[in-house]
Amino acid sequence: MASNSTIRILDGNTFVVSEDTGDIEATPSEPTGLFSIDTRFLSRWVLTVNGERLNALSYDDLQYYEARFFLVPGMATHYIDAKLSIIRERAVGGSFREQVVILNHDEKPVDLEIRMEAGSDFADLFQVKDEIVNKQGEIYAEAEPDRLRLGYRRGNFVRETIISSSEPARYDRNGFGFTVRLEPNEQWETRIDVQTVALGPGGRDLRMGLRAHDSGRLALQRDLEEWVAKAPKVNSEHEDLAATYRRSLVDLAALRFSPLSLGGQALPAAGLPWFMTMFGRDSILTCLQVLPFVPELSKTTLRILAALQGTRFDDFRDEDPGRILHEMRYGETAAFEEQPHSPYYGSVDATPLFVVLLDEYERWSGDVALVKELEPECRRALRWIDDYADLVGNGYIWYERRNADTGLENQCWKDSWDSISYSDGTLPPFPRATCEVQGYAYDAKLRAARMAREFWGDPAYADQLEREAAQLKERFNREWWVADGEFYALALDPDGRQCDVLSSNMGHLLWSGIVDHDRAEKVARHLVSDRLFTGWGVRTLAEGEVRYNPIGYHNGTIWPFDNSFIAWGLRRYGFAEEAGTIASGILDAARYFDGRLPEAFGGYPREQTKFPVEYPTACSPQAWSTGTPLLLIRTMLGLEPHEGHLAVEPVLPVGMGRIEVLDIPGRWGRVDAFARGRLELHHTRSAPTEA
Amino acid sequence: MVGDATTRFFEDLNRRGYEPALAKASGRLRFDLHEGAQTTHWLLEIDRGNLRVSQEDREADTVIGTSPAIFEEVASGRGNGLAAMLRGDMTVTGDPRLVVQVQRIFPGPPTSEGSRRHFRGEAH
Repeated sequence: MASNSTIRILDGNTFVVSEDTGDIEATPSEPTGLFSIDTRFLSRWVLTVNGERLNALSYDDLQYYEARFFLVPGMATHYIDAKLSIIRERAVGGSFREQVVILNHDEKPVDLEIRMEAGSDFADLFQVKDEIVNKQGEIYAEAEPDRLRLGYRRGNFVRETIISSSEPARYDRNGFGFTVRLEPNEQWETRIDVQTVALGPGGRDLRMGLRAHDSGRLALQRDLEEWVAKAPKVNSEHEDLAATYRRSLVDLAALRFSPLSLGGQALPAAGLPWFMTMFGRDSILTCLQVLPFVPELSKTTLRILAALQGTRFDDFRDEDPGRILHEMRYGETAAFEEQPHSPYYGSVDATPLFVVLLDEYERWSGDVALVKELEPECRRALRWIDDYADLVGNGYIWYERRNADTGLENQCWKDSWDSISYSDGTLPPFPRATCEVQGYAYDAKLRAARMAREFWGDPAYADQLEREAAQLKERFNREWWVADGEFYALALDPDGRQCDVLSSNMGHLLWSGIVDHDRAEKVARHLVSDRLFTGWGVRTLAEGEVRYNPIGYHNGTIWPFDNSFIAWGLRRYGFAEEAGTIASGILDAARYFDGRLPEAFGGYPREQTKFPVEYPTACSPQAWSTGTPLLLIRTMLGLEPHEGHLAVEPVLPVGMGRIEVLDIPGRWGRVDAFARGRLELHHTRSAPTEA
Repeated sequence: MVGDATTRFFEDLNRRGYEPALAKASGRLRFDLHEGAQTTHWLLEIDRGNLRVSQEDREADTVIGTSPAIFEEVASGRGNGLAAMLRGDMTVTGDPRLVVQVQRIFPGPPTSEGSRRHFRGEAH
């Protein structure tokens, strides 16, 4: 697993993960290397001087796309005697470039043999992730006079790594070397260029037109500056909040990913290192989180997901007409259909959330043209909810994979195999229906009704959708309420039996508005009770449940993104203090990660660990964790589009001090929002009152 | 040698004349099916969903190159076009957006049962 000492730089779906010396020595299961389009292009990249490995004095990850390493030869105890320093400076952006600079600090000249070992296993990211190693094709290496070509061929599937150096080098099949004599105080340098190539038979790269932006170093820097300059400014007395916001903006820039088909426009990829690709659910939820700050991501996300909306039945891909995709991959296992991601459709929330995002995007941007453009896809998505997702025939969205080998068992956001259980810990049969997805469907219908009435000129359809939504809400509140615990069941099994565990999922129900008003307070109390709320955030599963484990991936850890939607939901129902409590906890936790919230962290009580314990294999940066601080700011400030203007209704915890958010873009042009923390958090981690 | 499913696929498009799934697409897409020295062309002209199919070798916004055998698989639903592209068995030159739009109209695998309740209920 990627440990904390690895250095990661990325641009879109090209990224490099290395040791703190800049070296890469991947094993099949070590996720270090140079990766692009879900393929490892370098698994070995080791610099030596006179046969000696180098040691790191320090490194800087200057920007998300570049890093610099300061090195000396020899072991740690010999640092003092070092007469040489070596600086490696690298950047990704289209290709991978590394500059090596060697300085002689001695009074005497030195003779140096400089060598870079280079090799690649061309592992598919899935093989790295799941530790599978059996390549069907042929790996080759060709040393040419001016370059080293590493390649992999399986039929017409060809991936190559082409390495060249600005200083003439001697290339062999395992690397390249230089013989250098350095006079006192002299320095030597070379620029190494590593191209990743994905060739089709026509000799054309698969990724033509794939770049989101110009990828030269200066262009990347300019692009990042423009990205930050264009977004609203956040000033805050709470110093860390402004820093966390800036960190999030930069990470969002890094996670922009331009799929093959969009002609260079970008949407957020899900996260480094495993998920630098398009995910329906992750991309949509991230767009919702960041709408007030970077609305343009929503437009491209909606367009690409619409373009790839399902049109047929394909059991291998779990595709149905109208269904929004789950995951797209470009690697060998997708190409040869050993994995179904070309694309894979096995999620049940992306489809209703697609409709929700389109409506929310219009409310902010006033982009009616897009609502009209995507009307057919919206209608198809709504039809999918009623026709193909209702596997039991009782009006809910259900899932049961048709791809029994490589499809996903759980097709909700908690997609690990053991995330859905009864209170006795046993797992329910399929099909399953989880609660939060019914909330999304309710919200999608109401929002589509607004779009149908206001923009599609179809008031009859609007009436129908509103009727259906009202019926769904009424039935949902009857059939999902766990009477003795007074909360919503996590899921139903096909016989209608409740998975009666207390989970974070019901926080999303508040966001969707499906919760009956007289039950909202009970839900809110549960969410900030000791069983769910740790002081940092809301656990995925409550303490005391059979499957609860503070580091169980979906059975007890805290997911920042989950908390951001819970806080939004609490605010929607008027529980500003509870929302503020969660927002404070998560933003406090962000401080321990330098403003970069991980995918998940441990569900231990705050007073027990004093700091948030990172989940061992968590992805970072991860898009919806990156989006979390932005949605929390929106929630605390009560930013809401209202009849063409932006309503601001801040309820800030005292510790936040004064916050100003300047130049919030939207249909109103750009406006500022100011707030001062006045809310005393009374929350003491208490159990909900007995009924 | 052009396969049956390929011919049926294009003839069916031509007969339909309009495809709602392509209502937002316009452009000219040419399929070049190479076998040895011989290339069979199919030209699909799309004007906001209105379709015209011919076998002319004319300039196009997007050209898809593959073998007749691979295309036959895709046209019958037994093969998947996007996977074929990732594999290098199908190449694209020109505007890739048109490919994404057009992949919508290819059939699913003939063996796929689809959504259980509905397909079982409505199978005939």
